[in-house]
Amino acid sequence: MVELKNVSVTYSSTGVDALNNVSLKINDGDFAFVVGSSGAGKSTMIKLILKEIDATSGTVTVNGYNLSKLKRRKIPELRRTIGFVFQDFRLIPSMTVYENVAFVLRVIDAPRKYIRKRVPYVISLVGLQHKANAYPNELSGGEKQRVAIARALVNDPQLIIADEPTGNIDPELSYEIVELLKGINECGTTILMVTHEHDLVRHFGGRIINITQGEIVFDEVIGGANEG
Amino acid sequence: MKVSGVKYLIEQGVDNVWKNRMMAFASFCVLLVSLLLVGFSVLAYFNVNSIIGGIESKNEVIVYLDDNTSDEALEQIGDALKALPNVTSVSFYSKEEAFESLKSSMAEYEVLFESLGDDNPLVDAYRLKVDEISQITQTIAQIEKMNHIYSIRAPYDFVNILVQLRMILTWVMGAIILAMIIVSMVIISNTTKASVFARREEIQIMKYVGATNAFIRFPFFVEGMITGFFAGCGALVITWLVYDSIVNILQNQVDLLSIIGMGSIIQFSDIYLIVSLAYVCGGALIGAMGSVICTRRHLNV
Repeated sequence: MVELKNVSVTYSSTGVDALNNVSLKINDGDFAFVVGSSGAGKSTMIKLILKEIDATSGTVTVNGYNLSKLKRRKIPELRRTIGFVFQDFRLIPSMTVYENVAFVLRVIDAPRKYIRKRVPYVISLVGLQHKANAYPNELSGGEKQRVAIARALVNDPQLIIADEPTGNIDPELSYEIVELLKGINECGTTILMVTHEHDLVRHFGGRIINITQGEIVFDEVIGGANEG
Repeated sequence: MKVSGVKYLIEQGVDNVWKNRMMAFASFCVLLVSLLLVGFSVLAYFNVNSIIGGIESKNEVIVYLDDNTSDEALEQIGDALKALPNVTSVSFYSKEEAFESLKSSMAEYEVLFESLGDDNPLVDAYRLKVDEISQITQTIAQIEKMNHIYSIRAPYDFVNILVQLRMILTWVMGAIILAMIIVSMVIISNTTKASVFARREEIQIMKYVGATNAFIRFPFFVEGMITGFFAGCGALVITWLVYDSIVNILQNQVDLLSIIGMGSIIQFSDIYLIVSLAYVCGGALIGAMGSVICTRRHLNV
């Protein structure tokens, strides 16, 4: 669960108000699109949730952690409850697909036996079992993003944040990626997907949060085109 | 952290050396050169110091005794001189010996000596060698208090020069060693910085998936330590070969050795243990610390 209460963020270096008194609640099991033009405050919101930055005022609660009270050394603990998918994939180039995914479990010191069972399973969920030993530079954009999703999913996080996950891949593959995220959501994981591809949003529908100039101007559930 | 976790991190560190072999090789070279610079400065310092020590030990103090001193008193004085704390050796030099030596060195003035007949104008003396040349003044003061002392001849000027030389040397070599250490640190930290910078994205990803700082640093620590260890071994082999050949060349210079003394040059076999330890431990430590310190600024994500 993600909850923002009257949150404002002002960047002290530039004096820019990135978020202005924003309140938002995303319940467990939700799937929400966050849309808005660049510079609207989407990235700021994600950074807040990951505690990369702190709110200037207001409270942010993520998966039961009150972020304004969270100590620095507890940040890894928070981040282990969140899966993150980047626009530019951010796979470690020197590691195979398997290692990139297994890496997350090694970070949380999972038993080797569990890693050997869990990683192939998650890789098969995103349909890449035949590429488990490939390196990132041997994969297409869509495949890389599927590896990134497997990585976000592998430690069974409560929340997955996908930041423009379709931004760097072919449009026809974008639908596949969102389908995959939808499938994960159906198993109970909360998904927050940031995008500026309105076609995609219109196609799938669901909860749409529009941020413009640091304020939420629209937050409603709409029917998707594929639902009739 | 479980044992399997630690094992994984060590494996990662070892793998990283190979995966980032270009950067690892650069760090290796820089560390090697730095260790050699510092190593040779230190070795040069100790050798020059030892050579000065060798020259010092060749200096003697001559104590001339009163002409009418009895044999008994002579012996007493000899024992008293031997008992002085800073004196390493005492040898008796009789006036007859002195006279013969004078005669032979001034053979062309034979007429002069004939006129003296059996009359020996010289006096008995003791020749002393001192341990710590900088304390020669105190030692002489102690000798002056004894009875039957006619005069004392000591190489005061030479002593002063040596004491000053050693002081200057300590400062100059100290400064060189310090400068070498600083230069080495700067080069090493820049090389590791470059190596860490090349992998900043990797570090960032680790942070995003919830890795603790210790988890991220440990492989870098292992990696730096391995690189440093090999640089230490390399420096040791090079130092050994170069140092031994320098010593060999010097040992063939008979004229030089007669001045500085045979034993003044430190043999590598006498110091190889301490040199090995210093190089290998120093290399591993600097390598490990260098990479850990440099990861710090990339960890605040």
